[in-house]
Amino acid sequence: MSENILVVGGGPAGLNAAVMLSELGVNVALVERDSFLGGNPKKFKYKFLFPDMQPADNVIGELIKKAEAGGGIKVYYSSEISDFKENGKKFDVTLKSADGSEKKTFDSVIVATGFEHFDPARDAKYSYQLFDDVIDIKDLERMMGENNFVRPSNGKPPKKIAFILCVGSRDRHVGNQYCSRVCCTVSVKQAIELREHFPDCEAYIFYMDIRTYGFFEDLYWQAMEEYDVQIVKGRIAEITSGPDNTVICKGEDTLLRGPFEIPFDMVVLASGMEGGPQSPEISSKLGIELDEHGFLKPENITLSPFKSNKPGIFLAGACTGPKAISDSITEGAAAAMNAYTYAVKNR
Amino acid sequence: MEYDENGVSIVPSEFKKEIFEEAGKDFRYQEYVRGCLNCGVCTGGCPPHRFFDFSPRIVLQNMKSKDPELIWTMMDEYIWACFQCFTCAMICPFLNSPGGIIAILREIAVRRGFESAKKVLKPYSRVLLKLTAYGNQLSPDMIQPDFFPDWGPTIGYASTDLAVKRKAIPMPTLQVTNLSWDVAPEAMKELYAIFDEAGVFKIIEAVDPSLYEIIQDIVDDVRSS
Ligand SMILES: Cc1cc2nc3c(=O)[nH]c(=O)nc-3n(C[C@H](O)[C@H](O)[C@H](O)COP(=O)(O)OP(=O)(O)OC[C@H]3O[C@@H](n4cnc5c(N)ncnc54)[C@H](O)[C@@H]3O)c2cc1C
Ligand code: SF4
Ligand code: SF4
Ligand code: SF4
Repeated sequence: MSENILVVGGGPAGLNAAVMLSELGVNVALVERDSFLGGNPKKFKYKFLFPDMQPADNVIGELIKKAEAGGGIKVYYSSEISDFKENGKKFDVTLKSADGSEKKTFDSVIVATGFEHFDPARDAKYSYQLFDDVIDIKDLERMMGENNFVRPSNGKPPKKIAFILCVGSRDRHVGNQYCSRVCCTVSVKQAIELREHFPDCEAYIFYMDIRTYGFFEDLYWQAMEEYDVQIVKGRIAEITSGPDNTVICKGEDTLLRGPFEIPFDMVVLASGMEGGPQSPEISSKLGIELDEHGFLKPENITLSPFKSNKPGIFLAGACTGPKAISDSITEGAAAAMNAYTYAVKNR
Repeated sequence: MEYDENGVSIVPSEFKKEIFEEAGKDFRYQEYVRGCLNCGVCTGGCPPHRFFDFSPRIVLQNMKSKDPELIWTMMDEYIWACFQCFTCAMICPFLNSPGGIIAILREIAVRRGFESAKKVLKPYSRVLLKLTAYGNQLSPDMIQPDFFPDWGPTIGYASTDLAVKRKAIPMPTLQVTNLSWDVAPEAMKELYAIFDEAGVFKIIEAVDPSLYEIIQDIVDDVRSS
């Protein structure tokens, strides 16, 4: 008889965990809240992925294909856990979907419920939702994914665009002190894509630190050397409306210009990652710990970042903190290995 | 005070250190000075930054350097460029308050009667006098073009025919122009008690000794009435 393992969340982390487990012959129940698999990359139609600009479909599409191929994976779309009980070393779980409820016993559980994008409307200084031409990186990802990159205000291509980093991250006012890790690289990547497809659109990036860590740094250098992206040190203090249907970014260039007010056709806010409402929900439903940043808390952040504080429940991906797809996929595999070992030991 | 060959005063480094330590001991200091990302948001939102060479980011960085020399350089002019609007404190992602630090430094300058403080407070001597003498901050007759250049071009009109204009206000206004309202002697005495406790009289003595004498006469009068 093979093991039964529950995977919650069908983003990159959960998908990879499910696929690896099915390759081991495990019966996997993959529960996804949305009506489709692929997580945030799919929802916001990411088109090309950093670091190497490969089509997102290579990665996400591949994983979805494998998960949906049947094998040992049963996907529960538009579903959630409605009841969760420990039963000795196992778990009695009720899965609820539009079609009804199903009660099953699992040997172990992997939580891969991911992140939510910070809603930039929460920080009034950026005037998101006030001005049509102020969007954020997920909106831009979707626009480019849909081949529909124009100014929302008038449908015309922009001639000058600004990226503002650290929106909703590294800011005590919005309650997020941490760095979201990917938004620098996403912004640099998007600036490169823009300059490539729209060479007469100038691109500026306003930063406080550029955190294109590790090999992501290549993109940063490329943005300056090959794509002539203007990179200015200074966080934006205010966005106001300007003449000729522009939006004005006001701030301090801390290295060169001093005070500045620059009009742009469009502004893109690099909004960060949050634990979202799903993290506290799943934390209380499964009885696992939440950290002070609003993400799920691993038992030991360095030694076992893929283990929850509760034996038999494992964690993977952005539900434990901001990270890139490659890290999420790696953690999916690590959690799968651990969930499998636990299941076999307690059979 | 000692002077160098160019007539510039030589301030001993011990004194600068003392000023820094006085700021550091202020009960608000820990709350106002935290980490700093050098992000420039405070400065970007700071109104005077657009008119002067002035940056709340530099104020915070100087403070964090704990270098008494750097902090001393701000005492003369820098700290007086601030409007005390506290936009910086409202938007700093670290929850610093550069405006608050400036308040602390200004209070030191005032308490110690620094030249810079005297110069800046000079125009306020009329307000101080009015306040201590009558419990009013501003009375109609104080509104004159020379003293309120920042009130714009209509200040000239606003300062004429005060008695008539005053009568047009549909509220009890005492029908005089040298007072805004009447303050009872009991209230004045309470106000003086507060001034005493808070060290306000000492401050006035430090920045404007002759004003202090006039005020003291009035205070004595009221107190003995
Ligand atoms: C704008 C942007 C661009 C990015 N671009 C790149 C890039 O180019 N390259 C890169 O490496 N990384 C990129 N990233 C990072 C990448 O998005 C994440 O690393 C990745 O999505 C994390 O995968 P995940 O599976 O952990 O979470 P998610 O993608 O968030 O997936 C979680 C899934 O769980 C589901 N779920 C949540 N709660 C429940 C529940 N209670 N029950 C059932 N299902 C639930 C969700 O619906 C979702 O499908 C980008 C991030 C942003 C913000
Ligand atoms: S990755 Fe860059 S933009 Fe995102 S929070 Fe960190 S420093 Fe800011
Ligand atoms: S309080 Fe002073 S330093 Fe702060 S924003 Fe206002 S004027 Fe600038
Ligand atoms: S806003 Fe705060 S963190 Fe940023 S430079 Fe000013 S004091 Fe430092």
